[in-house]
Amino acid sequence: MYKWLKPYVLLLPAMMVILGIFIFGLAMGLIQSFGYFPVVGLNKITLKYYREVLTDKTFLSSLGFSFYISLISSIMSVVIGVLLAYSIVQSESKKGIEKVIYKLPIIVPHAVAALLVYNILSQSGILARILYSFGIIGDQSEFPSLIFDKKGIGVILAYIWKAIPFTTMVVYTVLSNINDRLLEVALNLGADRRQVFWYVLLPLIMPSIFSCFIIIFAFSFGAFEVPYLLGPTSPKALPVKAYIEYNNPDLTHRPYSMVINMSLTFISVILVWLYHKSFKLISRYDG
Amino acid sequence: MKRMKRRELIFKVITYTLIFLLLFPLVVLVVWSFTKNWPWPNIIPREFGLRGIKYVFGPSSKSLKILLFSLWLSSVVTIVTLLISIPAAKALGVYDFKGRRIFKMLVLAPVIVPSVAVSMGIHVTFIRLGLANTFLGVVLVHLIPCIPYGIRILTNVFEIIGESMEMQARVLGANPVKAFLYITLPLISPGLVSAGSLIFIVSFSQYFLTFLIGGGKIITFPMLMFPYIQSGDRMMASMYSVVFIVSSLIFLVIMEKTVKTYYKAENYFYI
Amino acid sequence: MVKKLFLMLLILVLALNFAACGQGDVANVKEEDILSKDWEEILEVARGTEVNFYGWGGSQRVNNWVDTYLAGRLKEEYDITLNRVGMDIDSILNILLNEKQMNVEEGTIDIVWINGENFFTAKTNDLLFGPFTHKLPNFNKYVDKDCVEVNYDFGFPVDGYEAPYGKAQFVLVYDKTRLDKIPRNYKELLEIAKNNPGKFTYPAPPDFTGSAFVRNIIYDIVGYEQFLDMEPKKETVEKAIRPAIEYLKELKPYLWKEGKTYPATIAQLDNMFADNEVLMTMSYNPNHAVNKKKTGEFPETASTFVFDKGTIGNTHFLAIPYNAPNKAGALTVINFILSVEAQASKYDPQNWGDLPVLDNDKLNDEEREMFEKIDIGEGALPQNVLLEHRLPEMPANLIPIIEEIWMENIPVEGE
Repeated sequence: MYKWLKPYVLLLPAMMVILGIFIFGLAMGLIQSFGYFPVVGLNKITLKYYREVLTDKTFLSSLGFSFYISLISSIMSVVIGVLLAYSIVQSESKKGIEKVIYKLPIIVPHAVAALLVYNILSQSGILARILYSFGIIGDQSEFPSLIFDKKGIGVILAYIWKAIPFTTMVVYTVLSNINDRLLEVALNLGADRRQVFWYVLLPLIMPSIFSCFIIIFAFSFGAFEVPYLLGPTSPKALPVKAYIEYNNPDLTHRPYSMVINMSLTFISVILVWLYHKSFKLISRYDG
Repeated sequence: MKRMKRRELIFKVITYTLIFLLLFPLVVLVVWSFTKNWPWPNIIPREFGLRGIKYVFGPSSKSLKILLFSLWLSSVVTIVTLLISIPAAKALGVYDFKGRRIFKMLVLAPVIVPSVAVSMGIHVTFIRLGLANTFLGVVLVHLIPCIPYGIRILTNVFEIIGESMEMQARVLGANPVKAFLYITLPLISPGLVSAGSLIFIVSFSQYFLTFLIGGGKIITFPMLMFPYIQSGDRMMASMYSVVFIVSSLIFLVIMEKTVKTYYKAENYFYI
Repeated sequence: MVKKLFLMLLILVLALNFAACGQGDVANVKEEDILSKDWEEILEVARGTEVNFYGWGGSQRVNNWVDTYLAGRLKEEYDITLNRVGMDIDSILNILLNEKQMNVEEGTIDIVWINGENFFTAKTNDLLFGPFTHKLPNFNKYVDKDCVEVNYDFGFPVDGYEAPYGKAQFVLVYDKTRLDKIPRNYKELLEIAKNNPGKFTYPAPPDFTGSAFVRNIIYDIVGYEQFLDMEPKKETVEKAIRPAIEYLKELKPYLWKEGKTYPATIAQLDNMFADNEVLMTMSYNPNHAVNKKKTGEFPETASTFVFDKGTIGNTHFLAIPYNAPNKAGALTVINFILSVEAQASKYDPQNWGDLPVLDNDKLNDEEREMFEKIDIGEGALPQNVLLEHRLPEMPANLIPIIEEIWMENIPVEGE
């Protein structure tokens, strides 16, 4: 048997789906971004759309806003998610209902999560009502602007609400299956609990944390629902801009949408690649 | 000993605080699904109503039939995605080969690229293949957003368990199929539960691609739910969401229990 | 390398396009067949078939009307099974466009609920079947064929490619107990905003309703006549609407959150109104307030008004896709929707509350009475008040330009 071939054969079915279906879709999007969309009468290949979109001054502020939201969301989700997973493992009780119930937000679609954040954090949301009933605020307008705001707090909270349980679930799966004897050995050798966490557990769960981080980052960088429903009118997150252009009934606007989508994709790939690099550097340094 | 107790207490407090924060919004969702009106500054709704539950469970909306169909569709997607993801994850997690890093990135592509960018090309391909407006087509298109989750999570699992166990079994004379069934599968079963749950959830909440590829012939539960979320009818949106969440939860718990009972004994193999 | 890759992609896409061509024009022949049949024959073909009705599905009451009344009556009369599919018009158009690209002769959609820019897009890209309205007996009998609102959809000629379904008109909604004086024009609106800072706002265009509000302000300030034949050039439009943009800038600091940000959708504004966060909301459905009171979302004291100079009205339509699998069934269903019975049932706020499209002069006394006896409900404006204050929609191709100008001028902070 050709041993070197084995991994490629194992990858084949997955790659058939990704390359066979997905890449063709991407190719079509890419070609449309160059202004080739014959069914609506655009036949010329041009860089015009790239030039227009990339030199538009709102593009940079939108890009910055998207980057900021994704970065904060993914860092906070990962940190709090790991903390929750570790806490559940440490405080494990026999009943163990907390092992299931925290997962609920994962099931909730993002658009519903946006609705929930709106119901709670808007100026007439539950939180404002509670503060009002305690007399802490005298009017709705005194409640801080947490949604539709330029700091994107509502957007970030919706993302981390969804992503914390995701991280916890993935990390908990690994943590709970690490053999207790391994930890006993470490403790017997004189390590304290903090050292066990940093030098034994963390390296073991690092690949999972890394995966969670990029999935959350890439997702929040490219999805439009949450920033569309909870984000400020200006600057708009990049995917929101792409979505609005995509839905422009004037179909000759489609290339603008595709240019934004391709830029998003390109930047995402670069960021994920950089993250890969730096992660490798750190893990080499550690070990 | 005392120190241990305090430590445990701290972690208990952290756990329950975080769980409370995660669950509180869902309590509000349940309240909203029975709320007729709820003006400022009332903390509890002024008037409750059953419009939402009556419509969702009423015969004219066909919601229950569509819900069952959606659960079935997503189960098929989950099984197919797992079947595809296990070998791929094993390749990425266990073997060292040329292009491994590129493949790892490529697997993430469906998460990175916004779906509106690829939807047209995918739809056109599916029309060509005669898969548009069919059950099979919708299953196939759901694989795309699901595969990244399946492969990434299982890759992490394979990275930890490695190949040594399976190799030992092989050395002892087990054939590859047996080695996989009796050694590897039990080892990765906790990972399979996590990955399977996520795949199920991702598939169950798809609507954009289902609209396009299903063409309205294949109708899933989110397709009933999303118009209400968009139109801001909070009672209907919340009621549909509650049904959505509860039914997926029941489904996931059953799945987890089944896998756990099946592989009960073999749960302590990690490292 | 990059060039090579690009070339390969291009060839791939081109090849697919060509491969799809040349599958013949069988569909066209069939279309002519159906339109050359007489009505009795069409009804015969349609009997016992299924019709797929696609359109926006965000209103429980509208859905319920279609699923129970309409579906039930069609079953009784024609043994037709109506399948309503709730789908965004954007998705519907994308499906049709992609099918067109691949020359799919038999699609899945029989009837589309459509109007305005989307009809413009569908028609200019040959996505629709027609002209078909001349075939419908009820259209010929009850609809005023010379009426601008039937012949033009957002300034774009209909040419028989869509049949009217109902009429809508932009209205503003307020709560009697919280606002004692209603603004009759843009000046009074500014006055009220100044007296109640932070208590008024509108959804950010391109939200459909927010965009209509901006157009209404434009009409109120500079009049509507000049826009009906305006060329779709940004400079021209910018010049024409400058006073209105200046006005919106003046209004901005008194808006909710000082106009720095706006609700993204009308749904959010409605919820803010229901939560008492703002004093007014708005809608392109004149019975919106009554509907929302029925569901309990709006307080019983919510009421509707229009500006003295009037508000924009439009007609929403039904069209048949070029590749509808059951065109005879679609024609039958659309014809039934244009019947006095269906229009009256639709007009009743107990059911839906959508304005009828039939011409009053063409109805006999008995038929007219069917409409007159309907109780329109507390807080709605009667049909004659709305019709007296009805202004024509702008040409569809000006709307994206106005939305763009709004986006460039209004939400940006400090200038």
